[in-house]
Amino acid sequence: MLLYLIRRGASLFIVLFGLAILIFVIARIVPGDPARIALGPLATAEQVTDLRAEMGLDEPFFIQLGTYLSGLAQGDLGKSLLTSRPVMDDILGALPATFELVVFTLVIQIVISIPLGILAAVYRNTWVDNVIRVVSLVGIVTPGFVLAILLQLSAAMYFGFFPITGRIDPSIMFDADITGLLLVDGLIKGRPDVVGDALRHLFLPAIALAAGGIGQVVRITRSAMIEVASRDFIEASRAYGIPERVVRFRYMLRVAAVAPLTILGLEFASLIGNAFIVEFVFSWPGIASYGVRTILQKDLNAVIGVVLVSGVFFVVANLTIDIILGLLDPRHRLREGKSK
Amino acid sequence: MTNRPILEIENLSIGFRAYGQYRRVLRDVSITVGEGERVSLIGQSGSGKTVTMRTIIGTLPMPPGVVETGSIRYDGRSLLELSKIERNKLKGTGISIVLQDPMLSFNPVLTIGRQMDDIVRYADSRLGQNRSAAQRRDHIVQTLAKVQLSEGARILDSYPIMLSGGMRQRVLIGMALLNRPRLLIADEPGTALDVTTQDEILALLNTLVAEEGLSLLLITHNLGVVREMADRVYVMDKGRIVEEGTRDAIFTAPQNAYTKRLMAAVPPLYGPDVVTIENHHTDPNPAISIDSVSKDFVGRSGLFHQHRTLHRAVDKVSIDVMPGDIFGLAGESGSGKTTLAKMTLGLIDPTEGTIRVEGQDISQIAGTADFRKMIQIVYQNPGSSLNPRRTITDQIAVPLKFTGHETSRIKTRVGELLEMVDLPADMANMYPHELSGGQKQRVAIARALSVNPRILVLDEPTSALDVLVQSTVIDLLHRLREEFDLTYLFISHDLSLMRNFCNRVGVMLRGQIVEEGPVAEVFGKPSHAYTRALLSAIPVTTDEADAMKPIVTKEERAAVLNPSTAIGG
Amino acid sequence: MSAPEMIDAQRVLTSRQMAIYRFTRNPAALVGAVIVVSVVIAAIFAPLLAPSPESAGSFVDFRNRHAAPSWEHWMGTDNVGRDVFSRVLYGFRVSLGLVVGVLGVAVPFGVILGLVAGYFGGWTETIIMRFTDIMLALPPLAMALAITAVLSPNLVNAMIAITLLWWTWHTRLIYRIVKAQMNEDYVEAAQVAGASHFHILFRELLPNCISAIAVKISLDAGFVILFGASLSFLGLGIQPPTPDLGTMVATGAEYMPEMWWQAVMPGLAILYAILGFNLLGDGLRDMLDVEL
Repeated sequence: MLLYLIRRGASLFIVLFGLAILIFVIARIVPGDPARIALGPLATAEQVTDLRAEMGLDEPFFIQLGTYLSGLAQGDLGKSLLTSRPVMDDILGALPATFELVVFTLVIQIVISIPLGILAAVYRNTWVDNVIRVVSLVGIVTPGFVLAILLQLSAAMYFGFFPITGRIDPSIMFDADITGLLLVDGLIKGRPDVVGDALRHLFLPAIALAAGGIGQVVRITRSAMIEVASRDFIEASRAYGIPERVVRFRYMLRVAAVAPLTILGLEFASLIGNAFIVEFVFSWPGIASYGVRTILQKDLNAVIGVVLVSGVFFVVANLTIDIILGLLDPRHRLREGKSK
Repeated sequence: MTNRPILEIENLSIGFRAYGQYRRVLRDVSITVGEGERVSLIGQSGSGKTVTMRTIIGTLPMPPGVVETGSIRYDGRSLLELSKIERNKLKGTGISIVLQDPMLSFNPVLTIGRQMDDIVRYADSRLGQNRSAAQRRDHIVQTLAKVQLSEGARILDSYPIMLSGGMRQRVLIGMALLNRPRLLIADEPGTALDVTTQDEILALLNTLVAEEGLSLLLITHNLGVVREMADRVYVMDKGRIVEEGTRDAIFTAPQNAYTKRLMAAVPPLYGPDVVTIENHHTDPNPAISIDSVSKDFVGRSGLFHQHRTLHRAVDKVSIDVMPGDIFGLAGESGSGKTTLAKMTLGLIDPTEGTIRVEGQDISQIAGTADFRKMIQIVYQNPGSSLNPRRTITDQIAVPLKFTGHETSRIKTRVGELLEMVDLPADMANMYPHELSGGQKQRVAIARALSVNPRILVLDEPTSALDVLVQSTVIDLLHRLREEFDLTYLFISHDLSLMRNFCNRVGVMLRGQIVEEGPVAEVFGKPSHAYTRALLSAIPVTTDEADAMKPIVTKEERAAVLNPSTAIGG
Repeated sequence: MSAPEMIDAQRVLTSRQMAIYRFTRNPAALVGAVIVVSVVIAAIFAPLLAPSPESAGSFVDFRNRHAAPSWEHWMGTDNVGRDVFSRVLYGFRVSLGLVVGVLGVAVPFGVILGLVAGYFGGWTETIIMRFTDIMLALPPLAMALAITAVLSPNLVNAMIAITLLWWTWHTRLIYRIVKAQMNEDYVEAAQVAGASHFHILFRELLPNCISAIAVKISLDAGFVILFGASLSFLGLGIQPPTPDLGTMVATGAEYMPEMWWQAVMPGLAILYAILGFNLLGDGLRDMLDVEL
């Protein structure tokens, strides 16, 4: 298991390194002068030259890449043109909000979709299955922004219990200075009012963000359960007198869980992507909001930083899932431990 | 039958509803198993024997399955009428099963110990017993000892993939016996294993039946296995029982036409019916000359793949295959026979040594059209060697296209080839799934022969086929050899078939040829202990042949085989 | 063991017959097919079908602005009096154009890379698949936003940005299928027969990927529409006055909830198209019995 962890950790590092280079290269090969783009068409040539020098754009490409990578290694992403602060500080400030939203969404997705998938498989081809199928289809096909607007609208009109913007009521005085996560810090500092209000704020954005993934995971869980049900060892377990509930929930689910978990990992990238929409609609003060603002301002350093941090998010999430799979399934562990 | 019946199936008819159609798969099936009796149900694939088994143990999905008529009684109680709870009580404790594939029969993500403990624990709770975890563990270790696995504790902590095939099969039998069932149903036990391991498993089952007072219902397609394992036999064909009787009656005087055909199709290992093939060629230049050829595969391990381990798959093998020979290369899985064949085709390069085909070093000519016109291959499983998405014509045409045949000629040539392998011309535009297994293998043979090669490598060409189909394909291969003056390099683990099909054989063990010579000699007076162990393990269909099998001592066996009772291997 | 043994059949169904049987017994798939056809027709014949073709452009009719849905304007009118229904029809045109543009490039590119990586193995495989893994780690929407922003937002650039990110999924899918197919003997049989790499890649392996590609394309079409609409919604995709469904939702949202139709109707139109492609894709998946 330790060997497995080390190996996964090493591959994480390689992917992150590649990711950093890739983003930098894309940012540089995109046509147009970043300095000119940032300053807009009205800037003078002199201003552009100054900014180029300040951003290091007049250096040869590989020097730029080297400077960028060594800065990155020290946690330096350059300065934001929009806020005039180090990009890293901006991102670190916005990160907890996004982290809280995304993790909460993931929890909602897992808690809702895996049981629904199991139900659909157990009651396959009955009305239960059909209802679940329609619900997950609606989740998949509803565009995130349409759902977000509809939720916001109906909350505003019919159930005012759920706030439609922000992370916490501005009237609550609270400083989340331990982890930055309102739920966690609220619990640590013993502030049930903070936790409650944060949950109320989280609810609508998280639902809007969760819907698409829920549909996918329900489907995958259902088909994985059905596939596992037809395997020989399930027939053998039944023939040896293992009770049906144990066969279904302990034997089948554990084998079937691999597929939905893998999908959750892959869907994580689009989850972060969709966070851009949801944060935008709900004015959620996270990195996606920051990202949209900086993108609109063509603030290149900040954009690179946001995309990079999102990528790191994705890679770490997938590493976590890999480790869970390794714990669940000895074959996964052994396969990765051995070479071809 | 003198014993009290433990299982009585009467007039069972079962159908399936699928794709809007209804098919009946069992018709009026009646089978009785007496207490302590060993009964075999024999049939080819698709005969309905698996449906019968699943109906008895209650795992046949209904729907789509429908019981039309009939009853199944276990110990006097009608299984199809029992309540679910009552029926579940019998599972594992009354009737238990051993499924065909030992790998697929385990939950891959739980340890063996966990799976076995669950079986004992839930049986206890159903039967109102109460044993502690330690007591249950003792019971499991004792049960493993019954299946001759002494390292019980280590096995319990292992995951299924960590065990060898033979061990898994033993553990599986142990699992079935955990709750002391009275009737054991075994579906093709040992079929997925090497013949020497299969032999051990069959012997184990026989011992268990005698010692534990079990009744055994064995489901198999192998007549040799039946002869060793059954007191009484039922023969099933197309969902009907076509013949039943004592073992001796069925084997000495079969009545039904289907049974007779089945018996006749099994190639005999010894006895008067054995066919000995001869090679009348006098050409002194070998068709294939393999000269001290070795092949190493490199494995890498460690954190950064820094440890190199060499695995020698083929070890200094030298063989001359003469023109007109049918040279049989025998060996169990992992013996290196397929690696040797692939080197002969130039698909992988030997680490040491040279291979010459018709006098030319293949390291010089591999990949050329001339080489492809010398030697071609027929694979084991036509389901895999034919592309499911291309028509028969398209596939047969590939070798033609790449040896410079004109497009206009290809179509006529495909027609000729189909005729040559006795396939109707209208199959040319069909896809493989529209053909039966035997027909597909004929297509594969036609493809191999399309460019008129003089040598064919046959990699277990009939092992995926039923025995009745196998004999027709073998006849075809004999005929083609005569007609086109072909030389065959035949790879197989089936020594009975080899005895009747080849004129010379080489026996491979762990990468080395341990014995080589004319078939009559190798089979008649085997000199190497491994050859004797292999031959003596083969289930045969007559007492006569059984008596003629070579004798192998326990020490000899232990010296050449990896017993399936040890971890690893 | 898994499939019931079928014998004694009056007539054995071929796999094609079984596939057609499965499709016709699947009402959802049929509904999907009908929806997709209707969207395609709407897109192709928008100029003929639209009650007010001039609404597609920067037409202004202030007397009629904010009109609720009626017989005259099925989906009402927008903030400058344009007929929303006509704009939705033209919006389909833009959306399908985007789908064709993106998938027309991304699918062949992704498929070829997947075939090559799976078939050749070794360093080729390592490089292609590592690169694909890294590309997959980029959050697609964020990346597309960044690219269009820098390139200046319009239809073509949105297409380029989405295409750059989309091929990876096809590479992964095809790579997985090819890896599994490489265990089959027919690939080696073709090699023994002397077939060229080109023949094996495109005549032997590709036909075995076609079903999966068809299903994937159908499902993808819906998601490309969604993706494009999301970009426009944030103001970084297709720019006005080109009638784009995402832009229409964004503009219409300002007049919510009183003049709901301006945002809800285009929103439902997007949902309708995605639903159609999804149902069709699912139906094809059941019919062709492929796993994605």
